[in-house]
Amino acid sequence: MKLLLLPSLVVIAVFAAALGGLFRYSVLEFVPGSLTPGGFTLANFRAVVSAQYLGYVWDTVVLSAATTVLTLVASYPVAYALARTPSRATRSWLLILTLAPFFTGAIVRTYAWILVLGNAVVTWPIPMLFTERGVLIGLVHFSMPTMILLLAAAISHVDPAYERAAASLGARPGRVFRRVTLPLSLPGIVSGSLIVFAWTLSAFPTPELLGGGRVKMIANGVKDLALDSFNWPGAAAFAILALGLTLGLLSVVGRLAARPAPE
Amino acid sequence: MARAIVELHGCTRDFGAVRAVDGLELTVDEGEFLSLLGPSGCGKTTTLNLVAGFVEPTAGRILIDGEDVTGRPPHARGLGVVFQSYALFPHLSVFENVAFGLRERRAPETEIHRRVAEALALVRLDPHGRQRPGQLSGGMQQRVALARALVYRPRVLLLDEPLAALDKRLREEMRGELREIQRSVGITTVFVTHDQTEALSLSDRIAVMHRGRIEQLAAPREIYERPATRFVADFIGGSSVLRGRAIARDRVELVPGLTLRVEAQPLPMGQAVELAIRPERVGVGLRGGGEADAEAVGGRIVALTYLGAQTEVSVELAGGQRVLGLVAEPAPTPLAVSQPVSLTLPPDAFIVLE
Amino acid sequence: MIGRVVIALLVAFMTLPTVVVVIASFNPTAIMSVPPAGLSLRWYVNALTYPQFRRAAVNSLVATAAAALLALPIGTAAALALERGRLRARNLWTTLLLSPLVVPGVAAGLGFLILAAALGLLRSRTVLVAAHVALVLPFVARSVWVSVRNLDPTLERAAASLGATPWRTFRRVTLPLLRPGLIAGFLFAVVVSANEFVVSLFIVNRVTEVLPVAMFTYVVNYTDPTIAAISSLFIAATVTIVWLTDRFVGLAAVFRLDR
Repeated sequence: MKLLLLPSLVVIAVFAAALGGLFRYSVLEFVPGSLTPGGFTLANFRAVVSAQYLGYVWDTVVLSAATTVLTLVASYPVAYALARTPSRATRSWLLILTLAPFFTGAIVRTYAWILVLGNAVVTWPIPMLFTERGVLIGLVHFSMPTMILLLAAAISHVDPAYERAAASLGARPGRVFRRVTLPLSLPGIVSGSLIVFAWTLSAFPTPELLGGGRVKMIANGVKDLALDSFNWPGAAAFAILALGLTLGLLSVVGRLAARPAPE
Repeated sequence: MARAIVELHGCTRDFGAVRAVDGLELTVDEGEFLSLLGPSGCGKTTTLNLVAGFVEPTAGRILIDGEDVTGRPPHARGLGVVFQSYALFPHLSVFENVAFGLRERRAPETEIHRRVAEALALVRLDPHGRQRPGQLSGGMQQRVALARALVYRPRVLLLDEPLAALDKRLREEMRGELREIQRSVGITTVFVTHDQTEALSLSDRIAVMHRGRIEQLAAPREIYERPATRFVADFIGGSSVLRGRAIARDRVELVPGLTLRVEAQPLPMGQAVELAIRPERVGVGLRGGGEADAEAVGGRIVALTYLGAQTEVSVELAGGQRVLGLVAEPAPTPLAVSQPVSLTLPPDAFIVLE
Repeated sequence: MIGRVVIALLVAFMTLPTVVVVIASFNPTAIMSVPPAGLSLRWYVNALTYPQFRRAAVNSLVATAAAALLALPIGTAAALALERGRLRARNLWTTLLLSPLVVPGVAAGLGFLILAAALGLLRSRTVLVAAHVALVLPFVARSVWVSVRNLDPTLERAAASLGATPWRTFRRVTLPLLRPGLIAGFLFAVVVSANEFVVSLFIVNRVTEVLPVAMFTYVVNYTDPTIAAISSLFIAATVTIVWLTDRFVGLAAVFRLDR
């Protein structure tokens, strides 16, 4: 039986080798004009915590946080409908509509926003394309399917019997939601938000295309360093920062999930 | 001399710290219907799994028709198994399900058709060959499972509580059919059940199991009328247990003034003794009506349980011990708690417990 | 009532851009306007004849097919081992298998680029396929795992008792019953690989470029609706695949929303 895991082990090993290369380069010196790095140095990491790059990080964190909050607000109603609708057809349709954007690819979806935000449909009173708010909208749109699925799963785990019990005790729908459904789905909300937040921190195509060079997040910085400046060591250090942030956030999610739900 | 088809010698099976089967010695003779009977956790299913090869013994050997099959995988043992959940392949038709074993044995197509048709006829499911298991009722699925296990004429048929999922009426019906089929085919059968009525009515011999060991291995009548151990007496049929002291070879004193005559076996003088008596042997009569019998013992009703055809009566004797008796319904006179009654306890009905 | 309206608006928000893209693709002129001044298929023609798109489409087809076909048996084996193998380090293995999902695309992409350089494979497609397999494997394994969980292990015991060797049991009983998970897994692999962009961006060059990367390059450099046309084709293809998956397996079951 264990032999069956061997091919997967090979794949995982290849992936690990890729990450290993990343770590290796991050502590090697960047030789301008060459792809071959120099010797051991911590200069890359020092650069990462320099003012310029920390600026990137801060902008990214703020933008990601705003994205997460807006996505949460926009996704909860759809997720609730998805989890609680009695009609199987409605659920199927909602699911397909939720998932279809997921699967039509980053470029297509981002390009669509280039059209909408770029006055092709509506002339906006204020500039939308190549601004932070444009990127924000694009990111929210990008994150909604994931958030909807995560929230729907959390809500569907809340036994509807609790809601019925509250209603039978005299609570109106609004109160049932506030005092029963929301608190009970809170762990799912928190973990879903953290997952979307972590994911958005590493967002690439949306800020790349909708930011027009003016809005840069961590991932864009990595790409610039690696593919434009050929500074692989510098890019590697920055990428490890992104990796660290993501893993850190997800481990918090993991620990929250492991904790038993508070009464 | 009956030929031993299934033999277990010194079989032990541990699951971590739990010993599910403990040094089991068992022989099943050719054509015999043997039941493994016991409560859950007694090791009966594990024993079946050992014979089938789904589980390897920690120690001991298993022989089938003289061959040592210990260590041989299940597909090489030539057995037929009917599972509690039937385990019919949902993606195959009834026909293909039954044909499965024959296909594995590379039987030619014409022979497969013939034998499957025979097997389906045997279980009276001929017209259902094309259907899927999901379209059949529980009872029908059970019969398909039986046909599937028998069609390639295995050496032994193993049944793991096959009737457990059926409702009472269907279960009784299937019981009869099962026995008929087994007799007509003449196949050596090992049957696992926790239902004693099933075991008593179907088996040539019963192995009553408890904590991984066989408490008693005997024909049904012997098991019922002469249980060898306390566990068997308790498990098979209901019984009441009375404690007292032997004051004579054939007398037991429960409390001063209350003695019983016991005809089972010579009692150890002066020793403490435990007696079991089956409720159906206890005569329940109302005091105050008719002559008092010399063997009659007086008591008071403390509980009544209506069972439909009978009412179970729990009677407290002088000294506090209780005896269960049965009264056929409708009862000649209405019974009530606290009513005084007179019990007849036939001396030969007592079982002396170890 | 308000709830329904809100949900409809939100769903419209989610699907609006896709609709806009499809509409824009029929625009007769290079200057985008929605609704368009007329209808034209010229951008579709342009998209389908643009040499770089054609080359990229072929590259995508090859890479995706290879990745999906490799990931399917690997993922199936992993799903079976994890569910039935009674492994002590089961959680560790699950985490490892799912890890590519957690690593930021740019980190994985750069890592694979470095690996390719170290192995002297910068011009070959090998690293691209390997990366796609790693990225797609979690989806495949998860899909198949759902089917494995629903598979009654007694059925395999029954097959063994009837004389089927482990291999024949796998072929005649296990595999047919795993079909829904296998199909869903394969479709997932295809969709995820076909859309994979960030990691591929780092690894490919102009020769090995896959379609999403080619589209990205086009958008960065040009602004005509060709990209809308090819996007529409892309949308049509992926929506069809998603719908197929729902028909075969039921998406709700795959995403475990039907408990």
